[in-house]
Amino acid sequence: MEILKKVYRYLSSMKTGLVLLVLVGAAAALGSAFLPDVFFNTWLFKLLLIILSVNMVLCTANRFILFKSRLIKNSNRWLREIGSMLLHAGIVFILAGLLVHAFYGQNAQIAIRTGDTVDVSQIITMKEPFSLHLDDFKVEFNEDGSPSQFNSYVTVLENGVTKDDAVISVNHPLNYRGVKFYQQSYGYLIKAKYTNDTGSEVEELIKEGNFINPEGTGRTVKVFRYIPNFDPNHGMATKTLRPDNPRIIFSVYENEQLLGVGAAQFDERVKIDENVYVVFAGVEPYTILKAKSDPGLPLALFGGGMFVIGVTIALLAAPSQGKKIEGSFN
Amino acid sequence: MKLLITVIIYALFITYLLGAVLFFIGNKSGKKQALLTASLLVKIGLVLNIAALIVRTMIAGRLPLANSGEFTLWFTVVTVALYLYYEAKAKMREAGGAVMLISALLVGSILVLMKGQLGEATPLMPALKSPWLTIHVLTAAVAYACFALAAGLAIMQLAKAETKITDGTVHRIVAGGFVMLSLTIVFGAVWAEQAWGSYWSWDPKETWALITWIIYALYLHLHRRLGWKGKTASKMVIAGFVLVLFTFFGVNYLLSGLHSYA
Repeated sequence: MEILKKVYRYLSSMKTGLVLLVLVGAAAALGSAFLPDVFFNTWLFKLLLIILSVNMVLCTANRFILFKSRLIKNSNRWLREIGSMLLHAGIVFILAGLLVHAFYGQNAQIAIRTGDTVDVSQIITMKEPFSLHLDDFKVEFNEDGSPSQFNSYVTVLENGVTKDDAVISVNHPLNYRGVKFYQQSYGYLIKAKYTNDTGSEVEELIKEGNFINPEGTGRTVKVFRYIPNFDPNHGMATKTLRPDNPRIIFSVYENEQLLGVGAAQFDERVKIDENVYVVFAGVEPYTILKAKSDPGLPLALFGGGMFVIGVTIALLAAPSQGKKIEGSFN
Repeated sequence: MKLLITVIIYALFITYLLGAVLFFIGNKSGKKQALLTASLLVKIGLVLNIAALIVRTMIAGRLPLANSGEFTLWFTVVTVALYLYYEAKAKMREAGGAVMLISALLVGSILVLMKGQLGEATPLMPALKSPWLTIHVLTAAVAYACFALAAGLAIMQLAKAETKITDGTVHRIVAGGFVMLSLTIVFGAVWAEQAWGSYWSWDPKETWALITWIIYALYLHLHRRLGWKGKTASKMVIAGFVLVLFTFFGVNYLLSGLHSYA
């Protein structure tokens, strides 16, 4: 029992809390400098946060118990005391929200091509399944050609029945049945027309970096990249994202030897070999959405609100302590 | 317009620097005229700083809240305004040199590191198009400014054997900065959840803002609960401000992440 008491006293003390804070800070500094993607997901770091949460729960509980006796001793400090408890409890709620997210949160990336439908329940576990259909994807541009907004026009379907229409754009996620969808990225598939190895004329959508093998030649074509605004001075990078001068960068290989690289315009007949041509007819955009389900979010949001109110009351609204010493200009 | 803002920034740098020098001379020699001139320069600097923000708004066609040059102008304008308020209230000019030197160096960093950022009209990128931008950036500017002022006072506490600057005053300013930094982080998290789909991603800016928050949290606990005062407390306040500067400059120029805007 003595040992348990000692452990409890140690775990619940403010000094321990401060030491833990220093450790979290030092660990975070190291983590941000070396391997941030790995470090913050290690169990050691998470364990540190859990111990800190336990310490803060106990510390705050102790203060709550002492609150009444302190109130009598220091009647002018009650507001500060309430603020302090709110802010500490708020942090505990935030950490609890993070913990719930770590165990029950789901994150996924969904790529949808215009006109396609994706069954979201295949990606995020849910009770009432629904699908997302991409009606259109549009990039809006500023005058200088930089993007001003990325918009995914989607339809939500349940068992094939339309339930909702929405535009998902950056800063404007869609929230449907607890699953949030964010505009995260996008890309293009390249439309290539050629005669394939079975001798039929085809129009295919090719992913950037993939190869095609036209009929009648041993050569292969790598459909390297779509550049919306091609400018030789910018090399393989696009000048702006606006399609002012669209080109398809491709390369031709024979026996794994690079024969040449070109920048084709849309609908241009590109000669690959004698009587062998490929036409890049255009591009088809696809959107990349982030799908997230986080049952810990309300907890964290509640904690955040509590923390903000608490810290403001504790440090600003409460009567200041100590004597004020003023100087004089004389 | 491009020339105008360059001229204003140079004038601002010189005004703040000259103010700092006069404060140092005046405090050392006790010449009142030097101190009065320095205070006047601070006021002229404040007007120039506000003018810089207005001209930048006109060039950008939006509120200047996006790149690091724009943020630096807010950082210094609030620092200087807070200093003037402090000077009037505490009736002391002891810390003027340190605070104005910090402000001058910040404006100087625009001239060295952020050249060209303020002369071009740069539209906001989609991630920044949110009402949270204004709140998040302005609370950050006030937080940083409080920490700059507190650090200026703490430097003078350490540098001089006898000073009228009290730990209580420094503590109160840090406490104000801490509230604003807390708001910055929480509002930033709410916004990040909207924009990036996650309220905390251990992005370098987030991580270092948290580390900064931790050191000031330690200071507040040690000061309030354990009675740490004097030199150790002053050193912590200065260390905190070094972390603020790293969160601002170091993260922008050394570590890349979601907060890379300029």
